[in-house]
Amino acid sequence: MSNQVIVIGSFALVYAASIGYAIFLHRRLKRAAE
Amino acid sequence: MRRVQVLLAVAAAALGYGAYLAFTAPLDVLQGEYTRMINIHVPTLWLAFLAFGITALGSVMYLIRRTARWDRLAASSAEIGVLFAVVGVFTGMVWGQAVWGQAWDWGDARLATTAVMIFVYVAYLVLRQSIADPEKRAKRSAILGIIAVIQVPLVYFSVYLVRTLHQTPSIRPDGATMPTEILVAMLVNVGAFTVLYVALLTGRMYVARLESERASERALAGEAVSNPRLSEIQDV
Repeated sequence: MSNQVIVIGSFALVYAASIGYAIFLHRRLKRAAE
Repeated sequence: MRRVQVLLAVAAAALGYGAYLAFTAPLDVLQGEYTRMINIHVPTLWLAFLAFGITALGSVMYLIRRTARWDRLAASSAEIGVLFAVVGVFTGMVWGQAVWGQAWDWGDARLATTAVMIFVYVAYLVLRQSIADPEKRAKRSAILGIIAVIQVPLVYFSVYLVRTLHQTPSIRPDGATMPTEILVAMLVNVGAFTVLYVALLTGRMYVARLESERASERALAGEAVSNPRLSEIQDV
């Protein structure tokens, strides 16, 4: 695996964690609002 | 909620610009492509340090004011801090494997203290889950939230206290040890992740408030059923 792929993958993982947490909050919000 | 959406949009734009700068900045001769990792490693761990500091602030303010809002601030911030501390450590391990030749070393003071810090904040979150009474939960976790923050300066200064594999900070009072383009990209990313933190914290606190209100409504409606304590059974 090339170094560039590993670095881009690491960036993607960080952004995915942020988006994933935002989605998690959105779902909890919908559940709490019901 | 409108405020959270606006903050998330600003954070997304700032992160996009930060990523652009990260991938157009010059590379270090020795680190090569891995030079870019500084743009996610430093901001995520900065975010975690900030989050744990805010947890301590919320904890202190809760013990002074005794209002649920400060407790929600402390708990919400700790949760976000743990997430980004774990992510930050992972990015450091990827960088370490490539540049140091090893992803982890328990003998390294910075790595070991960071791991302990994460474990303690995970324990903080577990403690909160284990106490049903909101006031007891808030008080006990506030005490832990204040004690736990001692680890933040300990992690930061560990590289000065003990000779370690992990290098000392690249930004020092006498200047930065990196080219301006790399420094600017990193600082833009630190700013972007800070906006992201504010957005997620605002959203998390809103969810916590809503969940707390729903729990109160259920309790008033008589739906909340708690297990009797052992002492109560023995009294009967």
